[in-house]
Amino acid sequence: MPQQDKQPISPDMMIGILKATMPFQVVSEPLLRRIAAIGWKTTFRAGDTLYEAGGPADDLFIVVAGKIDHELQPGVHARRPMKTLVEGDVFGWAALLEKVPNRLAKAVCTEDALVIRINGEELLKVLESDPNAGDVVMSRFATMITRDYTVPDLIAQLRGIHRKLHARDPQGMNVTLYRVSRWLKSPKPYLMLIGLSIFFGGWYLFVEVLRLPRFREMPGITTVVAEWMSPNPTYGLSIYTGEYYQHILVSIWRVTQAFFLATALGVPLGLFLGWSRKFKDLVFPVFETLRPIPILAWVPIAIVMFVATESAVIFLTFLASFFATALNTMLGVESIDESYVRAAYCLGSNERQVFLHVIVPGSLPFIFTGLQISVGVAWFSLVAAEMVSGQYGLGYVINTSYTTVKYPTIIIGMITLGAVGYVTSAMVRVAGDYMMQWRLRELAMGAN
Amino acid sequence: MATTETRGAIRIEDVVKIYDPDGAAVMAVDHCSLDIAAGEICMIVGPSGCGKTTLLNAIAGFHEITSGRITLDGEVLCSTDRPKSRPGSDRVVVFQNGALFPWKTNLDNVAFGPIMQGKLSKAEAREKALSMMADAGLNGVEHNYPGEVSSGVRRRIEIVRALMNDPKVLLLDEPYRALDSLTKSVMHEALLEIYYRNKVTIFFITHDLEEAIFLGHKVAIMTSRPCKPKKVLTVDIPHPRDYGVLTSKRFRELIEETNEAVHEEAVKAFQSGEKEG
Repeated sequence: MPQQDKQPISPDMMIGILKATMPFQVVSEPLLRRIAAIGWKTTFRAGDTLYEAGGPADDLFIVVAGKIDHELQPGVHARRPMKTLVEGDVFGWAALLEKVPNRLAKAVCTEDALVIRINGEELLKVLESDPNAGDVVMSRFATMITRDYTVPDLIAQLRGIHRKLHARDPQGMNVTLYRVSRWLKSPKPYLMLIGLSIFFGGWYLFVEVLRLPRFREMPGITTVVAEWMSPNPTYGLSIYTGEYYQHILVSIWRVTQAFFLATALGVPLGLFLGWSRKFKDLVFPVFETLRPIPILAWVPIAIVMFVATESAVIFLTFLASFFATALNTMLGVESIDESYVRAAYCLGSNERQVFLHVIVPGSLPFIFTGLQISVGVAWFSLVAAEMVSGQYGLGYVINTSYTTVKYPTIIIGMITLGAVGYVTSAMVRVAGDYMMQWRLRELAMGAN
Repeated sequence: MATTETRGAIRIEDVVKIYDPDGAAVMAVDHCSLDIAAGEICMIVGPSGCGKTTLLNAIAGFHEITSGRITLDGEVLCSTDRPKSRPGSDRVVVFQNGALFPWKTNLDNVAFGPIMQGKLSKAEAREKALSMMADAGLNGVEHNYPGEVSSGVRRRIEIVRALMNDPKVLLLDEPYRALDSLTKSVMHEALLEIYYRNKVTIFFITHDLEEAIFLGHKVAIMTSRPCKPKKVLTVDIPHPRDYGVLTSKRFRELIEETNEAVHEEAVKAFQSGEKEG
């Protein structure tokens, strides 16, 4: 077969030929142009064999002129194995079949012929870049093979169009699973376990074995664990008491409200602080004056301002989060490379579009750093805030257990606070990963 | 993609740019005049920090000029009376460090311009972007993010993103500076190939003389700060060119002819302690 005889062909001519064939009839002009770009023309003399059954199925052919005899081998079970191919006929479709690497037919030129050839792999690649149009082409191929070549459906199984957009991108849950499996393969979890054992082992050693004077009043780990896991806790709080969960839920609910309020107000404020010089000059001095004031200093004002204690608690929990979110968002906007903004203007964006398409996504990494800090400081402030509150919450548990000398309960409250805080900040991180796939993939590239 | 010959003629007339005129008064561009014909590749050569980018920024509309005038096809972009032009999609910049949006896929980056301008719907813009990327040999990376592809590929995508807007002028600010020499040579041929298909005016800043002579119809060698043309050379090697040009006699002659002038300015810049930039 005269393989060396591949010659380039003008795209316009090629498009005209493609449009006259069954599989490519309905394809849009731009996609046709791309298919045209991978096509070649070849001439054959009468008597040439284009391919034999069993040979490698690499290219797809289209007859432009001349005649070619096409004989499917018996194993294909075609109803009419012999076919004479003329202008507009497409053959060599074994190149597109699932699990069929070889030719199923013999093709012999009977009258000098001009044919177009397109590599099957390359064609699939082009079709994959536009999966919807690609599916249409493939289904028309299937129709053609069963109808014109009388090949049973079973054999005419075409290769699937691989949907890159969905199949290749790890998204949402997949990203998380991928990270978990990577994490388990790294030394990280084992180091973490060792670290935790050293910490708890030290606690046991200093308090209960060595009985150091400094820790005389401190409850030992065995006391705390026994109390925590006891169905009948001495001091009234363990995993078996409903009250324990009520405290946790109340605290979580307060932090959630404060966190979402802080995000809803802090992110827009930060975006405008970073975006508008004038707005920053106006607002930032006030912002920076209020920001360093500790939460405890806000307590009296909060009580005076809010009649309901619950509102006061949420306000106090909200404050520090709000400042952290707004400040980080502002820094995020300021961190955006000037080139991105300029590029957007060059490409014809107006100010609103620059804000939506450059400023907001560009500052997301900083915003999520801010949100992680925010959720952390929300728990931090909660303890201070719950000193104000009536009767529920982990901060309240710690505070009242101190005044009523229930020392093991203090530790239970503290550890619970730490664990719940850890989980919420991990949730923010996962949300960030989800919203910033591009960043995750960039980092993954760096790691390779 | 056919463009008429009258599109994209830039005329820089007596442009002066002084930074901080009331204070330190640093003169970046000094009475600079330069004519760039429509559809011409004009290479601006000079040592880093000589003020070339200031000129580009004035054309693009990022910075004001102090006096003088710049016109595009006879229309005034900026002048003494209106010192800053409006950035627009008729003059798209390809940035030194690349400015593909890392949060958009390559395809969405390329489709960005026409969508923003409301010229095409999202679907139409994506379709056009797909075919333009395919024409430039960029199939397979459409759905990746810029951070996932090599810097050479990123530059090519950025040029395609610019061409999506059918601009009159491409403004390239040392786009291949950060690339290794092998990638660079591939990029040069890719750029020429794109240029032969879409004849736009190209204003290309570089400090690499070989690059300048290989690519350009015209090479303007600039003086170091303040910046103005020291020597303007017309490269009489016919287009289309390929890498064979590099070993041709004429190419060597042109290099020799201009090397002295470039070297002089580089030494001057070095002695005055100009920083990179």
